[in-house]
Amino acid sequence: MKFYTQSFIYDDPWSIVSLAYFLRYPNPYASHIISCDVISRTQTPSGTLLTTRLILKRGALPRWAPKGIISRSESWVVEESEVDPMGRTVRCTTKNLEFTKVMQVEESVFLHQNDEGKTMQISEARIRSRFGWGLTKRIETFGMNRFKTHVQRSRDGISLILGMLRQSRLQTLGGPAPYSPMYFAPGKIRAKCSNPPSRINSRYYAEVRRMWP
Amino acid sequence: MADSLAPQCTPLKREYDSCFNSWFEGYLEPAVAASASQQQREVYSRKKAEEFETKCGKVWAEYKECTQRALKEKGLDRLLDQAREENPLTEPAPSATQNQK
Repeated sequence: MKFYTQSFIYDDPWSIVSLAYFLRYPNPYASHIISCDVISRTQTPSGTLLTTRLILKRGALPRWAPKGIISRSESWVVEESEVDPMGRTVRCTTKNLEFTKVMQVEESVFLHQNDEGKTMQISEARIRSRFGWGLTKRIETFGMNRFKTHVQRSRDGISLILGMLRQSRLQTLGGPAPYSPMYFAPGKIRAKCSNPPSRINSRYYAEVRRMWP
Repeated sequence: MADSLAPQCTPLKREYDSCFNSWFEGYLEPAVAASASQQQREVYSRKKAEEFETKCGKVWAEYKECTQRALKEKGLDRLLDQAREENPLTEPAPSATQNQK
């Protein structure tokens, strides 16, 4: 088993970082995400929000991988999270559902607002292979290196979304948003939304559409 | 937002995401003082849950039904159950007794 941990501080407050975190797919740094669905979401009596999402990712295997150990290059990942708006924390764990004997990657992310009003992110990964055939260690090392690269890309993706959120909030100050389609649909459908105007307005989506033509 | 696992659910997913995210933005900044009592927090949380139900409850139910059907068709429901049995997810395990949203 290999264990890796890294922490990082975002200058923004917890609420906007957490919003960006849940809006992170799609972004140009996460082109490997094919689909993402909420399969359960409940609010607990204490007010926290529990969410399970099922995500389909595309991933390439290393050249040295024995042929046929994994029949395809896509895999299902389950993400479970708990958001506590009163305690200003997000806990999120992701695990791959298949090929767990070859490699089980469990990733945890913890977001918490610090005393300076900034947001601390702690990322952890546990990588374990039970493959055997003298390849266990090599698989774990491969997984670890891939994870390290992934941490950086994932942060770049969140920073990008953060930047767009920040900009759209600045532009909206002083006037209600004309409409609030709270989703990414580059050049596609635009839903009518009966919610009160959100601070995240059309400019945000215009920006998103510009980036994903 | 990213597509749904089933193309036929993607329009519902977009509508749901749009509604949820708008609600979520407010949820992340609770209008309750840090010093509020447990009871005040619970009242606030219940209100927030009701607000979600009123605004997004219908589209959430439709989207969920659509994906549940797709999960069954693809055999993914079994995969999820199996993963939970073999390797219980230690972190938040949504229980059926909580308010379904």
